[in-house]
Amino acid sequence: MNICPRCGSQHTEQVAASPVAGVWTVHMCSTCIFTWRSTEPEHITNPDKYLPAFKVDQADIPKAAHVPPIPARRV
Amino acid sequence: MAYQDFRDFLNTLEKEGQLLKVEEQVNLEPDISAATRALNNLGDKSPALLFNNINGYEKDQARIAMNVIGSWPNHALMMGMPKNTPLKEQFFEFAHRYDQFPMPVQREETAPFHEVELTENINLFELLPLFRLNQGDGGFYIDKACVISRDQDDPEHFGKQNVGIYRLQVKGKDRLGIQPVPQHDIAVHLRQAEERGQNLPVVIALGCEPVITTAAATPLKYDQSEYEMAGAIQGQPYRIVKAKDADLDIPWGAEVVLEGEILCGEREFEGPFGEFTGHYSGGRSMPVIQINRVYHRQNPIFEHLYIGMPWTETDYMIGVNTSVPLYQQLKEAFPNEVVAVNAMYTHGLVAIISTKRRYGGFAKAVGMRALTTPHGLGYCKVVIVVDEDVDPFNLPQVMWAISTKLHPKHDAVIIPDLSVLPLDPGSDPAGITHKMILDATTPLAPEQRGHYSQPLDSPPGVDQWEKKIINLLNRQQS
Repeated sequence: MNICPRCGSQHTEQVAASPVAGVWTVHMCSTCIFTWRSTEPEHITNPDKYLPAFKVDQADIPKAAHVPPIPARRV
Repeated sequence: MAYQDFRDFLNTLEKEGQLLKVEEQVNLEPDISAATRALNNLGDKSPALLFNNINGYEKDQARIAMNVIGSWPNHALMMGMPKNTPLKEQFFEFAHRYDQFPMPVQREETAPFHEVELTENINLFELLPLFRLNQGDGGFYIDKACVISRDQDDPEHFGKQNVGIYRLQVKGKDRLGIQPVPQHDIAVHLRQAEERGQNLPVVIALGCEPVITTAAATPLKYDQSEYEMAGAIQGQPYRIVKAKDADLDIPWGAEVVLEGEILCGEREFEGPFGEFTGHYSGGRSMPVIQINRVYHRQNPIFEHLYIGMPWTETDYMIGVNTSVPLYQQLKEAFPNEVVAVNAMYTHGLVAIISTKRRYGGFAKAVGMRALTTPHGLGYCKVVIVVDEDVDPFNLPQVMWAISTKLHPKHDAVIIPDLSVLPLDPGSDPAGITHKMILDATTPLAPEQRGHYSQPLDSPPGVDQWEKKIINLLNRQQS
């Protein structure tokens, strides 16, 4: 759970645990903001088996289009 | 007939046999999405679902409501009509109530959601039973909440305060991503704030009664208040209460309320998210909301919406209320001609207009006008125009009109490079598309083509028999 299944980043943290202890934990990647629960199937949680069509290349993240664009400041 | 709050509406659904309680234990993924998708596959009369036994929580500790207005019976009940009201009647009743706009609001000092209030140690992942909707989604989303913001240049204008529904990705314990599509009102507010170098205050209300959700999903004009429209639809003033951190008004009956601000000049990777087009949006950089305050009722019910390949609850939620504004705006231009509008397909990317005509070429002008309505700027990629005696809600009739009245050489008009919402997967570049008007009306002088002088008519008395048969069927079923 320390490696992001989607972009491979090691910057991940646990953000929640089930109120009934030991059932599941929720994790988030601070690089691509992917979020997953420990009980989801391996094609969501395992970096080696994550859905290939939805893998994210960390190099593409800064190139993502801004929606909406940031406007110029009014003078 | 107004529903006090979300729970009041759930009680009505239960009384009417339109709420299914799932008592068996379910997993957050994939059970809740899978059950809701299955429900949508079963037809257009399906009930809402209420889950109260969720793995990882004690029973009743977390409750999730799905598909709350995801069928025509539930949509009819939202308007306080009998659950078996035919769709076309729901359309005309909605149009009638839309004409009662504006209904003044009723202001309150306190609300049930004030029961619990948090300003520190906010963790949305712990406060809400969040879950993934579709497998390729980039995270857990909130996609049926009312997001409220004000015009920054004219903050005193109540009508320019906007209540809209935007997808929100939970991106941290107290952070959300938001998708303000440029055609939507909140994008105007955000631009005004960012041009000043300021954050935009917002309030997010989850688990509202269904009339404000419907008004929030209606493409109103920029200066029309969703609260005053909700009052018109429910026939009673809509109840609102002030936020604490900003001059924003909140639906009184909400289960959970988040107060925060969209951070000026910040964009962060968001998505993908399975959208109402039946396709995932790609990953893009979108604005971020910082949450500063949370209120909720004791043991709140988390309302969520499954979105995916149409039809899902989304399509019921934005079917009639997309068709009626287009109808009213077309009637402003052609009050004696336009009969009805069906813009229920993928939020009106396809729209069908039934109209009388004054002379040859008239129907094409009606189609052109649809493209320039506020909603048409982002939708109405294909506009089909049919005669006044063709019911636009009856697709076999519409197909008949296209089959027999349309001449491709004369009646298929393509207008190049118009605006469309960027989520249209066919647009290229995203946000630009050709649009088409299909004139499937009968040629009228000075147009002389075709052989339409001997149309078949129905035997006398069909209308009365139709009502009689519906009554007989209802009696047989009850």
